[in-house]
Amino acid sequence: MSRLYRSQESEEKIDFPIPNSQSPIPNYQLPITNYHFPKKMSRSKALGYYVTSRLLLAPLQLITIVTIVFLLLRATPGDPVDAILGGRAPEAAKEALREQLKLNLPLPLQYLEYVKSLLSFDLGKSISSSGQPVWEIIWEYFPATAELAVCAISIALIIGISVGVFASSRPGTSLDLGGRMFGIITYALPMFWTGMMLQLVFAVGLEWFPFGTRFPASLPTPDRITGLYTIDSLLSGNLMQFFTAVQYLILPSFTLGLLLSGIFERIVRVNLKQTMQADYVEAARARGIPERKILISHALKNALIPVITVLGLTFASLLGGAVLTEVTFSWPGLANRLFESIAERDYPTVQGIMVFFGAIVVGASILIDILNAYVDPRIRY
Amino acid sequence: MCWFPLSRKSWGRIKPLLSFLCVCLLLLSGCASNPQTVAQSSNLITIGTTLKPRTLDPADAYELSSLSLIYNMSERLYTYEPGNPEITPELATALPQVSEDGLTYTIPIRKGVVFHDGTPFNAEAMAFSIKRFIANKGKPSFLLGDVVESVEPTGEYELTIKLKNEFAAFPALLAFSGVCAVSPKAYEIGEGKFNPNDFVGTGPYKLGEYGSDLVRFEVFDEYWGKKPENQGVNLQILSSGVNLYNAFRKQAVDIAYLTLDPDQIRSLQQSAKKGKWDVIPNEGNVISYWSLNRNQKPLDLLEVRQAIAAMLDREVISERVFYGQSEALYSLIPSGFDVHKPAFKEKYGDANAEKAKELLKKAGFTKDNPAVVEIWYPSGSPPRALTAIVLKALADKRMDGLLKFDINTVESTTAFKNIGQGLYPTFLLNWYPDFLDPDNYTQPLLSCQEGTTEGGCKNGASQTQGSFYYSERMNQLIEQERKAQDPAQRKQIFAEIQELLARDIPYVPLWQNQDYIFAQKNVKGAQLDPTQNVIYKNLKK
Repeated sequence: MSRLYRSQESEEKIDFPIPNSQSPIPNYQLPITNYHFPKKMSRSKALGYYVTSRLLLAPLQLITIVTIVFLLLRATPGDPVDAILGGRAPEAAKEALREQLKLNLPLPLQYLEYVKSLLSFDLGKSISSSGQPVWEIIWEYFPATAELAVCAISIALIIGISVGVFASSRPGTSLDLGGRMFGIITYALPMFWTGMMLQLVFAVGLEWFPFGTRFPASLPTPDRITGLYTIDSLLSGNLMQFFTAVQYLILPSFTLGLLLSGIFERIVRVNLKQTMQADYVEAARARGIPERKILISHALKNALIPVITVLGLTFASLLGGAVLTEVTFSWPGLANRLFESIAERDYPTVQGIMVFFGAIVVGASILIDILNAYVDPRIRY
Repeated sequence: MCWFPLSRKSWGRIKPLLSFLCVCLLLLSGCASNPQTVAQSSNLITIGTTLKPRTLDPADAYELSSLSLIYNMSERLYTYEPGNPEITPELATALPQVSEDGLTYTIPIRKGVVFHDGTPFNAEAMAFSIKRFIANKGKPSFLLGDVVESVEPTGEYELTIKLKNEFAAFPALLAFSGVCAVSPKAYEIGEGKFNPNDFVGTGPYKLGEYGSDLVRFEVFDEYWGKKPENQGVNLQILSSGVNLYNAFRKQAVDIAYLTLDPDQIRSLQQSAKKGKWDVIPNEGNVISYWSLNRNQKPLDLLEVRQAIAAMLDREVISERVFYGQSEALYSLIPSGFDVHKPAFKEKYGDANAEKAKELLKKAGFTKDNPAVVEIWYPSGSPPRALTAIVLKALADKRMDGLLKFDINTVESTTAFKNIGQGLYPTFLLNWYPDFLDPDNYTQPLLSCQEGTTEGGCKNGASQTQGSFYYSERMNQLIEQERKAQDPAQRKQIFAEIQELLARDIPYVPLWQNQDYIFAQKNVKGAQLDPTQNVIYKNLKK
């Protein structure tokens, strides 16, 4: 068995940062950033220093996002005033609107105005929705995206880890090959196509799930507490609403989750294979511990550490994937709204949503780093 | 190697887990069992659409998506009956009295009407609503702002409107969905002061819920007129025509209306013939036309524009692009108006390739030196993409190499900016009327305030439409029709306008749309008003 594992070594490459070879940590345990701290600094102090530096860097990351989004939007052809008023409005009306929206100011001044309002947590007002504050739009639409994203990432983790474990438990077999194929195919499949196919099969053909949207128009929507229909229906004790919300949630979140699961499957499979060659695993085998127990109780825990890192990196893909999923499934989330706002050249809404998404990704990556440090005490900063 | 990787023992352990998952799935589909069934059992109507409203404020609503919701929750001074483009009183009790100089309109107002918030309706409330429509400077404010001098209540139930200039189509403008009565207690006058998420009017429905993908309309119990036939209407907003098509087929919605692609409409029509559901066709008021920029070569030559008009085969376009779901159009004014005159058919006929070739040869074009014309269209429009392809194929097949079309596409937001700057030699456009009067199909396309016959339009409507057409005579005729109160005189003027249009060809009319409502078998009363709005109050199960 061990020979079999070793024979596969050259085939599999890990596609994320290789840790310091001087490190006492075996190379299957990932990843870890090497920060230079005073050698004698205690672990808790080092962690505190690291967290503080990450938090201090976060605004810089955000301002970079804000600047890039601001410039890209202005570089895109098309004028929001034309998008709002159409080509037939009188020039005077267009000029008045330009002035009202401060689009007549020079670009640097527009940028300064925007950053100034951002510093007071004012994301501005939507150009296209009769001046609705962008915060209101985020408040209205984000719960749908959050519900979809949380459910999708859970599905991605469950499918990815399960397939990864199964595939690596029988190296060299059809199961292993199937695992690899699964990873490649799910990574390569286009979101909109997969979504449409799953809808056609499961909603239109088999009628197992309802078609499109988030909740049927014929039923009263759950009273808003958190905005997450599944949670709100449970909090208000309405099981009918809960089951209906779950019914509508399954297909879009499964689509998004399935396409993200390939990333986790690959990491788990590769890491688990490498872990299964470790000395402590050989020692466990020598003690006569069953292979299944070694896999689940000893190797899997170590192999899962990189999954946490990748989870943070996947947040950006998750939100990107949410745009396509929401459009495909008529899911009324913030990503769908972002898509519409881009078409309308609604600068404040696009900028506001992007800053919000950017803050989530930055926040998630900090959280993941801290979590990584917490679960793996061998990590150095 | 084994094809099935699990041992019997392992399989035995997994089996309970799989069974549990299956039970969960069954429970899910069972417990919440088909929400669609619930929809069918009550007299609540669910309408599916892809049109997402931008705002519910009538002073800022300018798109059908918003106006159709406002239409069903509000009332205007005048409205339209289905199938009739003539206005009838709604919150007014009679047609307006017009002063001799044509500038003052006196309108008697209906008594016994209350707003959704209980505020009584009177002439003062109507004056407030019109003043707000103009003063808040929303998207459609120019419609009244350019025309109205003052609005004053001259009695508790009498309204007097003074115009800046004579405008015979003014009463039709008062039927625009946004010029509706809104409660003075719920709204404010002031530039940019909009209520995008709320609506308080006098219509048969009041707003129940306004969500991101769902709008609920509740019956307004104190409505003065005939009560709705249903217990309420839910509007389900879907992100694409595909989703709307499938949602209707799976009975997730009772009514499907706007926007389905021609092939989806054809598929639903075929199923309707088998008795699966009802299809209600309506003559649309949206026109499609081809804008020709007379400032770009070779379109600066009248013969080239005439050749394009002559070679066009509208029947083939209707068949290939719309499967016959549109009507060939030979004037910018749709055929539903009595002033309509098919001037292009009379002057050029249809698919007249011989005449087109003759004209091009006369202009000096040969096989070796063909007239090359770019066709531009907005990228998000499959029908116009297909139209461009059909036009190119027609030119390649029938014009013996004398005329070549180059197809190009651009995103619509970018196009809006560039059309008025004259970037595109030709562009395939649609016109959605603001109000139902022939004036709205001519003045916003053909007039020009500033320009010369030689240099074209510098500033005016035809410039914003990309044709840069300038004609002193056309400007005069438009001014005359706007002043003329006598229908016979107006008809004569519009006839001349259409003849002049066919002679100068700044635009080539292509087709006028057909609207289709699809309704499940158990739903009755599906109707459109002439401004393309589904009338909710007549729907019943």
